[in-house]
Amino acid sequence: MGESSEDIDQMFSTLLGEMDLLTQSLGVDTLPPPEPKPPRAEFNYSVGFKDLNESLNALEDQDLDALMADLVADISEAEQRTIQAQKQSSQNQHHSASLQASNFSSAAPLGYGTNAAAIGISQYKEDLPPPPADPVLDLPLPPPPPDPLSQEEKEAQAKADKIKLALEKLKEAKVKKLVIKVHMNDNSTKSLMVDERQLARDVLDNLFEKTHCDCNVNWCLYEIYPELQIERFFEDHENVVEVLSDWTRDTENKVLFLEKEEKYAVFKNPQNFYLDNRGKKESKETSEKMNAKNKESLLEESFCGTSVIVPELEGALYLKEDGKKSWKRRYFLLRASGIYYVPKGKTKTSRDLACFIQFENVNIYYGTQHKMKYKAPTDYCFVLKHPQIQKESQYIKYLCCDDARTLNQWVTGIRIAKYGKTLYDNYQRAMAKAGLASRWTNVGTVSAAAPAQPAQSTGPKTGTSQPNGQMPQAAHSVSAVLQEAQTRAETWKDKKPALGNHHQPGTPRAPQAPKSSLPPPPPVRRSSDSSGSPATTPKAKGTAGGGFLSPPIDFLPPPPPPPPMDDPELPPPPPDFMEPPPDFVPPPPPSCAGTAGSELPPPPPPPPVLDPDSARPPPAVAKRPPMPPKRHENPAPPGGAGGGEQDFMSDLMKALQKKRGNVS
Amino acid sequence: MAGMKTASGDYIDSSWELRVFVGEEDPEAESVTLRVTGESHVGGVLLKIVEKINRKQDWSDHAIWWEQKRQWLLQTHWTLDKYGILADARLFFGPQHRPVILRLPNRRALRLRASFSQPLFQAVAAICRLLSIRHPEELSLLRAPEKKEKKKKEKELEEEVYDLSKVVLAGGVAPALFRGMPAHFSDSAQTEACYHMLSRPQPPPDPLLLQRLPRPSSLSDKTQLHSRWLDSSRCLMQQGVKAGDVLWLRFKYYSFFDLDPKTDPVRLTQLYEQARWDLLLEEIDCTEEEMMVFAALQYHISKLSQSGEVGEPAGTDPGLDDLDAALSNLEVKLEGSAPTDVLDSLTTIPELKDHLRIFRIPQRPRKLTLKGYRQHWVVFKETTLSYYKNQDEAPGDPIQQLNLKGCEVVPDVNVSGQKFCIKLLVPSPEGMSEIYLRCQDEQQYAHWMAGCRLASKGRTMADSSYTSEVQAILAFLSLQRTGGGGPGNHPQGPDASTEGLNPYGLVAPRFQRKFKAKQLTPRILEAHQNVAQLSLAEAQLRFIQAWQSLPDFGISYVMVRFKGSRKDEILGIANNRLIRIDLAVGDVVKTWRFSNMRQWNVNWDIRQVAIEFDEHINVAFSCVSASCRIVHEYIGGYIFLSTRERARGEELDEDLFLQLTGGHEAF
Repeated sequence: MGESSEDIDQMFSTLLGEMDLLTQSLGVDTLPPPEPKPPRAEFNYSVGFKDLNESLNALEDQDLDALMADLVADISEAEQRTIQAQKQSSQNQHHSASLQASNFSSAAPLGYGTNAAAIGISQYKEDLPPPPADPVLDLPLPPPPPDPLSQEEKEAQAKADKIKLALEKLKEAKVKKLVIKVHMNDNSTKSLMVDERQLARDVLDNLFEKTHCDCNVNWCLYEIYPELQIERFFEDHENVVEVLSDWTRDTENKVLFLEKEEKYAVFKNPQNFYLDNRGKKESKETSEKMNAKNKESLLEESFCGTSVIVPELEGALYLKEDGKKSWKRRYFLLRASGIYYVPKGKTKTSRDLACFIQFENVNIYYGTQHKMKYKAPTDYCFVLKHPQIQKESQYIKYLCCDDARTLNQWVTGIRIAKYGKTLYDNYQRAMAKAGLASRWTNVGTVSAAAPAQPAQSTGPKTGTSQPNGQMPQAAHSVSAVLQEAQTRAETWKDKKPALGNHHQPGTPRAPQAPKSSLPPPPPVRRSSDSSGSPATTPKAKGTAGGGFLSPPIDFLPPPPPPPPMDDPELPPPPPDFMEPPPDFVPPPPPSCAGTAGSELPPPPPPPPVLDPDSARPPPAVAKRPPMPPKRHENPAPPGGAGGGEQDFMSDLMKALQKKRGNVS
Repeated sequence: MAGMKTASGDYIDSSWELRVFVGEEDPEAESVTLRVTGESHVGGVLLKIVEKINRKQDWSDHAIWWEQKRQWLLQTHWTLDKYGILADARLFFGPQHRPVILRLPNRRALRLRASFSQPLFQAVAAICRLLSIRHPEELSLLRAPEKKEKKKKEKELEEEVYDLSKVVLAGGVAPALFRGMPAHFSDSAQTEACYHMLSRPQPPPDPLLLQRLPRPSSLSDKTQLHSRWLDSSRCLMQQGVKAGDVLWLRFKYYSFFDLDPKTDPVRLTQLYEQARWDLLLEEIDCTEEEMMVFAALQYHISKLSQSGEVGEPAGTDPGLDDLDAALSNLEVKLEGSAPTDVLDSLTTIPELKDHLRIFRIPQRPRKLTLKGYRQHWVVFKETTLSYYKNQDEAPGDPIQQLNLKGCEVVPDVNVSGQKFCIKLLVPSPEGMSEIYLRCQDEQQYAHWMAGCRLASKGRTMADSSYTSEVQAILAFLSLQRTGGGGPGNHPQGPDASTEGLNPYGLVAPRFQRKFKAKQLTPRILEAHQNVAQLSLAEAQLRFIQAWQSLPDFGISYVMVRFKGSRKDEILGIANNRLIRIDLAVGDVVKTWRFSNMRQWNVNWDIRQVAIEFDEHINVAFSCVSASCRIVHEYIGGYIFLSTRERARGEELDEDLFLQLTGGHEAF
């Protein structure tokens, strides 16, 4: 036993050493380890400044507060991980070190907060992960692995697995984050943190949770360029950070959160786009009568075949001439491969068409009030430009339609040509979300635990509602959403016995492709925390008002729903630790996940639930008495909190535990 | 029984003599004479014939064909009376399966035995099973066009006819896979070659041939093809097809169900070939930009198919970015050697530094800025290109720095003129910067070009695909050197795998007339960079998708005359709609969707099709270029295809099909 655990220690520290090397090699900023947190935070900040977006600079205090909550959550997570790692690698050594670290953890948020407030940044990029990784490395290294290679094959295998996990972790380490200010339609703003893997869909989901809106499919993120007077909605699959990073530093561009009928109009009334006979009155009337079944089959026909059918669209539009304020009328045709026009004196047969533009490198925007700005013939304008272009330029194409209907047809047609089936997949995901949300709110208000059932029952239903021709991809993403919902549901169901469970839903995801369309774990957790119930908003405000002393609150899953499950988790570890430490040096946390967890009475659970501020202290106090576990008590919360994200350490622990099982 | 005689030799029963010729419809065939009565069963007659012939042979496939009635006597329990056969009937006792030569969608010829006695629908299903093409309902047979014998004689190439006529399929079950192909193909080297022909795309055709082949010049030319479809509900024999005839096998209905690259290699390939030939022979029109994409895909496909990389994605995994690559590298290496070496190599992201001549076009075109190319010291690192006045100033501030992420990279190359330029359109907040990099030679060009391309996609030269990208560019340049001289210019390059890129073989003849080969090649190269990472099946699928995205895709044209109209018009039949098209101008006059269709009727006497749509819209027309049976079958066929569901798999409701497409025998 003891021997094997030593091996594991060795393995672990080798691994960490390697991670360290790797981190450096990857060009991640690594700071001298001794002083882990606060300085680094600052450093990262200043790095982030380069890319700061001044328009976002003017964050109000309360925004900052809200942000702090997010930030602190991340930081403390990192800390926790560090600590946990320490604990594992060198249980008996470095007591002081870990204590120190935990001190930092409380200090860090403060420093962070003040920094942020003083500077008034709204946006930063941070390499979060490095912090966790480095400290870990240094601490474990002391007991240097004498002979890592001498290990047996079995262990080599285990090691390989762990390396994989570590690598996953490292990948996450490179995640860039951005704080964005989103304008609501009531003229208020909300700031939220978006990491570079998040798609517009994820951000929307996040906003849904923060705003308690009805989650219908029309909600969208909307970007506005005041200077060019153009605007467009983000497609749900677009990467938000990527789009925003095209903005210049001094941009006046804004992101709005609002409802736009046009976003998915084509899926609600496909006949208006596919069966429109050049805007004849009668056809309009007849087409609007189309019944649901016909719509469905039309959609299936258009979007579920081997290739997507782009609506046939042609007609005369006005084109703004390069650099002039004059508009020329030309006959344009939309094809899957681009927009074409009929050159003078030619016919509109395919062979004569001249290519006007292809969609690969351009986005489509609505032009607002171009009649005024550019003397456009009408105000129904659309604009095609490379997303990186932010100023007036000859490379921006301005087109003008006769009426709103035509404008919508063109914009939608171009979106279909550009995005293809992705658009339909987005719509289905949005629908699934909307359906889920409506059910959720119906039942959800009754009790926090209620969502479990609706989520599960919705699952199969939304699944089957997909047409047969459905692309596997879409099915996958939808089911992923549902899976998530179910996971949550499950967590609810077996609150107490589910200690192990709580980890598992997270862990299997770890190996998944990092680019999965799912919201990256950490944000998810955060959002689900703050979401679940109406309680969130008041709470958030409280935090804002209360200043920075409360940060830790936030990283504890705060509102009613999560605590019940989190708390039971928190307690178990300590008791477990108390006994084992003497026996076997490394393992504690794993055992809590599996064996010990179920037997243990959830010790100090429910009371702290409602009061976030008090939530934090109790566990700490409760656990402190037992001497040895003392430093585990801090680690423990991360285990709980980390359940939502795939915590590398917990994975490791699992591996360790498994191993221990083998040996004994 | 039959044939009781009196002593004098007269027959006293009601029996009579029936003469049956043995063999296929050949007047000089041997014949046997039987004595039968009206009550004789066909089965009994068959037995007697075989006895009479008295030859050891497998007769199981033989049946009696009644020439005058153009009918097979397949109901063995029916009596002659029931069939109405009298002594004057000309009957032939011959095989039901006879060899035909199929002209496949890829234009290769294949001899096989097809059923001459089953309705064509079943015969095609059997053929498709043999060729392992799923969903045979989408295909049918056409008569070969009549040849203009005189001209063709001069250069009738002795083409290889693949032979599958000896292959027999076990009935019923789907053929099992053996050595990566259906088991019945793996019998001999010959059949194996045949499978390769079926499942792998053919090399691009000779441009000369392409120019010689007939192409439709108008809509009415496009209607010609559709007059040749055979009737699905009748057998080949009834339609006057003879053993050894040439028939075309084509996808008839443009509604391809459940196309799956994994299970459908033959189907996918043949579909690709049909699409390709459609485009090359201008059966379907596309724009110049679209043609370049099609050409690039064809080039890519033929390259992959020739190099034998059939299964897996070509070379590298496109999703592997530098970090991933580094990590997985590490993962492997950590197991063995000392990690430091690896890490060393990981830390350095390769960069390019060199003297290049640069020509920058200012954003606002000012006059007198044509300074031409200037020598600069250029450093290309990660995705950023910086240039300096000279090498000494390199550590300082560059003249300009461009992040190539999201930029457009356009080759501007003329190999014979030794011009190797890269045109970059780099987006910036203010607009696009246009800049030309001029390289000295192919090697330099290939490296910088590959770097630019990766950078435009946000990847660095550490990316795993960098080397293969460089190789691809070099290969393409060498093609330009050997190939693109012009039509009929045979490449002398020793490199077999890249042999014969003649851009003229990849585009429709009208583009051959419009562009010189050296103009085409760079454009194809440009389009190729977007598809270079696709696997064979993916590329074929992409080709088919692009084909399906053409506005005119899947429309079969028939010349008709609408009731009440005095001129001929074109009726276009697509998988979801009927289109009335002006014959002269080609404009769409009116579209009716099948989903609004109530019923359709055919008046076989006056050859008129009448269709009723929702809201009492009635349309009637008579068919001019093809028989109304063909129009009827097209409409019924599409409606049948729309009833297919994934759940049912490949099961076919043949009765429904025949009900929807047949029905004219009654008249």
